[in-house]
Amino acid sequence: MSEFIPTIGLEVHVEIKSKSKLFSSSANSYGMATNTSVNVVDLGYPGTLPTVNKEIIRQGIRACKVLNCNITRKMHFDRKNYFYPDNPKNYQITQNRTPIGTDGYVEIEVDGIKKKIGISDIHIEEDTCKSAHRGSVSLLDFNRAGVPLIEIVTEPCISNGKEAMAYLTKLKELLFYANISDCKMEEGSMRCDANVSISKDENMGTRTETKNISSIHNVGLAIEKEIARQEEVLNNNGIIKEETRRFDDKLGETILMRVKETGNDYRYFIEPDIPYLVITDEFINDSLKTLPLLPDELREKYSKIGLSSLQIEKLINNRPLNDYFLGLLEFKTNYVTAVNLLLSDVSSYLNKHNKVITDTHLSYEKLVSVIDNLESGALSNKNVKDLIDSLMENDLTIEELKKEFKIENITDDRFIEDIITKVIENNTESVNDYKNGHDRALKYLMGQVMKETKGTVNPKKASDMLKEALNK
Amino acid sequence: MSKYLDLSIKEIHELLVDKKITPLDLVDEALERIEENKDLNAFITINDKVREEASALGEVEPDNIFFGIPIAVKDNIVTKDLKTTCASHILDNFIPIYDATIVEKLKENKLLIIGKANMDEFAMGSTSETSYFGTPLNPHDKKRTAGGSSGGSATAISGGLVPLALGSDTGGSIRQPASYTGIVGMKPTYGRISRYGLVAFASSLDQIGPMTRTVYENAALLNILVGEDDKDLTSVKKEKEDFTRLIGKDIKGMKIALPKYFVSDIVDEEISKRIKEVISFLKENGATVDIVDMKYLDTAVNLYQIIAMAEASSNLARFDGIRYGYRATSFNNVDSMYEKTRGEGFGDEVKRRIMVGSYILSGENAKTYYDKALMVRDDITKEFNRIFKDYDLIIGPTTTRVAPLLGTSKDDPHKAFMDDVLVIPVNMAGLPGLSVPVGKSSENLPIGLHIIGKAFDEATIYRLASFIEEVF
Amino acid sequence: MDKLSREEVLHVAHLARISLTEEEIEKFRVQLKVLMDDIDKIKEVKDYDDEMMFTPIEENARLREDVVGDMLTAKEAISNAPKKNGSFIEVPVMINE
Repeated sequence: MSEFIPTIGLEVHVEIKSKSKLFSSSANSYGMATNTSVNVVDLGYPGTLPTVNKEIIRQGIRACKVLNCNITRKMHFDRKNYFYPDNPKNYQITQNRTPIGTDGYVEIEVDGIKKKIGISDIHIEEDTCKSAHRGSVSLLDFNRAGVPLIEIVTEPCISNGKEAMAYLTKLKELLFYANISDCKMEEGSMRCDANVSISKDENMGTRTETKNISSIHNVGLAIEKEIARQEEVLNNNGIIKEETRRFDDKLGETILMRVKETGNDYRYFIEPDIPYLVITDEFINDSLKTLPLLPDELREKYSKIGLSSLQIEKLINNRPLNDYFLGLLEFKTNYVTAVNLLLSDVSSYLNKHNKVITDTHLSYEKLVSVIDNLESGALSNKNVKDLIDSLMENDLTIEELKKEFKIENITDDRFIEDIITKVIENNTESVNDYKNGHDRALKYLMGQVMKETKGTVNPKKASDMLKEALNK
Repeated sequence: MSKYLDLSIKEIHELLVDKKITPLDLVDEALERIEENKDLNAFITINDKVREEASALGEVEPDNIFFGIPIAVKDNIVTKDLKTTCASHILDNFIPIYDATIVEKLKENKLLIIGKANMDEFAMGSTSETSYFGTPLNPHDKKRTAGGSSGGSATAISGGLVPLALGSDTGGSIRQPASYTGIVGMKPTYGRISRYGLVAFASSLDQIGPMTRTVYENAALLNILVGEDDKDLTSVKKEKEDFTRLIGKDIKGMKIALPKYFVSDIVDEEISKRIKEVISFLKENGATVDIVDMKYLDTAVNLYQIIAMAEASSNLARFDGIRYGYRATSFNNVDSMYEKTRGEGFGDEVKRRIMVGSYILSGENAKTYYDKALMVRDDITKEFNRIFKDYDLIIGPTTTRVAPLLGTSKDDPHKAFMDDVLVIPVNMAGLPGLSVPVGKSSENLPIGLHIIGKAFDEATIYRLASFIEEVF
Repeated sequence: MDKLSREEVLHVAHLARISLTEEEIEKFRVQLKVLMDDIDKIKEVKDYDDEMMFTPIEENARLREDVVGDMLTAKEAISNAPKKNGSFIEVPVMINE
């Protein structure tokens, strides 16, 4: 018996970042009191009309760019008609015939193999209102009604859960870095539906749609479980029905929600309240001007300045730190040392105090001066560890801090010389080994120096001085 | 009883400026007339704060000719804190929480909204008999219709209850009642007046317009109604102009087209005869009038049915008993709440149109009917533009017959559309059109002349209309 | 007389979410058929080009600057709702979630 080949397509909705909503001027914000981020347009009051938020069109254009889509130059909106209590006008304004972007892709890498996941289209649409269920009733909060969304639809070209996860991870990284969306699946600002079918030949099997999966990990899981379920059904001579399912993460399987009616009849037609929108070159260029560097561009840039791939990935995974570091590139300093510092002592401090770096007093000037002091040996790593709270929490300069913490001793050459002399006297055997060309002896002697000074001296400086003393 | 309201707006204005009368005098007179003519059913709701509002104006200096003048507003235009029903059971208790842009303009110019004028339910109908609140009667013969859908507005003007009214025109709903009741009614160019706050029937066709006793007052009222509105993307920015500026000019050299279809055998003989008299008069006064062939005019009703019903089915979906309006009392689930609410809330004409509208947009029908209608609509518009290359205006009768007896078109879904056969083409092309009385029939019923202008050339329409008004 | 079937009437009534009484169903079997015959006449139009006009507005849609405007209080937002529950609007439980 031959193997079933799965075909998977993903539909991802992300909430777009903006101040106001897509078709009305009420606030696009999360977590406001019930029914306070609304106006008559969001409530679908009789006589109200949509207006189009310029920033959302810009965001759409940015999304086209980062997802390698063609930008539609003349577009309109469409109405998707369906009755549902969370749909205030009982139609949703979306883009059916002229999506803002078409024919894009996202490149992923799974097990060392690169693959382009095709994106058939991305379109702009409005979100529905939020509902909570209490026994026999549902309660409606319209704050989310009209919040801008982009729906990103892939070609049915994903082969398994792993690829789906890699795609979503990459998509999230791209949209997050482009400042298009927060992409927080747990807050619902990124939502994923997975269409899965399996087949043994060219003909596509009947597909099911698993809706609103709550995390990237669960998308991978849900797809694998759904493939397994379909295989079992078909192996037992069953029939796959076109249906909507959901993923239950406690049970770890997909569960039937409803069997689809004979094709959803959304009665699409062109939204007559919004005339054509023509996108000019100027508007596109203007929109892309504010597009920040994307992860792959950052990777290239960072590797050129000598960061390790581990450092690069750590930075990219920490957006605030990354953005801070990008700013540091305007200054001349040792960036590798800077990243080490940012990823070690600074990160520990931030984690411990649950802060982001922009909330602290670590100015670029101060950071550069710390790095200078480290380079020259005026500060040791241990000093920085000791000083970290003060560095982050007040505006004293390094010189002032050194004074306050009485660190000047440590750079006192005589103090170091005394220690070195003592170490040389007490380790004549190793000194001889060194003089006979055994490099390892130098390491041992250096270790002794550090031990004597309890790590408070700059290792480079101490090492230089030690060599000098030994070569005398 | 005082007769101030029978004076021209200019004369009333002078009296107000000279402090011989107050706005309250005018309001009281209007309220008295409305009360005395209650059987005309012109109004659904009287503004119970209007005397208060009039008193408040007593201390203010009149700053424009409409200052302190009572006006009737069609009940599909929302008025804050003043019940707005669209003549429907489903909104019979609806108190809007915002003003239509047009209502804001009336208030800025200190007109006094005396009440909300009766109409066909959701403006669907041609005799105002589909109103949930009784039928407005034609003051010229109370057994006859005042037309529709702006029947209440027409009755109010024609019956001398108020000197000014607002109507809305989707497929003739201002011009046809104006013709039946012997008043002046203008449907301005689509985009002239903000639709924000006009409860949408067919978004791509609806337009608000003034209904008045004279051409001058009509043009002057239009002056304060027009203008681009940020809340309505289908309102258009235009240089400010005075629509009365060509009134009083002669018509020498004017080039006028009369499409053959407008004097074909669909028109009653008596009306055709009157139109011919008008043409002779125009020619005598130096205008040229040519009979022209125009394609597609006979398809306009068909296009209108498809476009208006399709758009209406979507526009009226929001009346679901959730956020406002009537909600049925007994239902088992969400779907039955929708169905009962709408089944009980809407009248027959509305039900028919939204059912057929849903059918038109359903599945493949959207292509067969709606898309094709939009294509032919584009052709009819091009046909108008072709004529307007050579002519300043197009004329014809407004209606094929004089105001019919009430009860003759009820339950005949086809007839309701045929009353508007001559006025509908104008809505397809978004052009301005006006009906001006040209005398009466043998039964002493008003006959209207329909004047169609180029897009945004209302001023030329008023020029011809005022010239004719002087004589007929 | 030409009529729609009961099922055809009920299908469009469901699309439009309108409950009908038996009497209405019978009435609309005739009346809707009249209208459907009317709209069918569009099929007879042969001479047309395929450019669609969905609005008379020829200008491009104006775009709104991304600025937050006035909003309603929760009290205002739900003021017209037939069924309120705290600051929420209440409906029968939504089954499809």
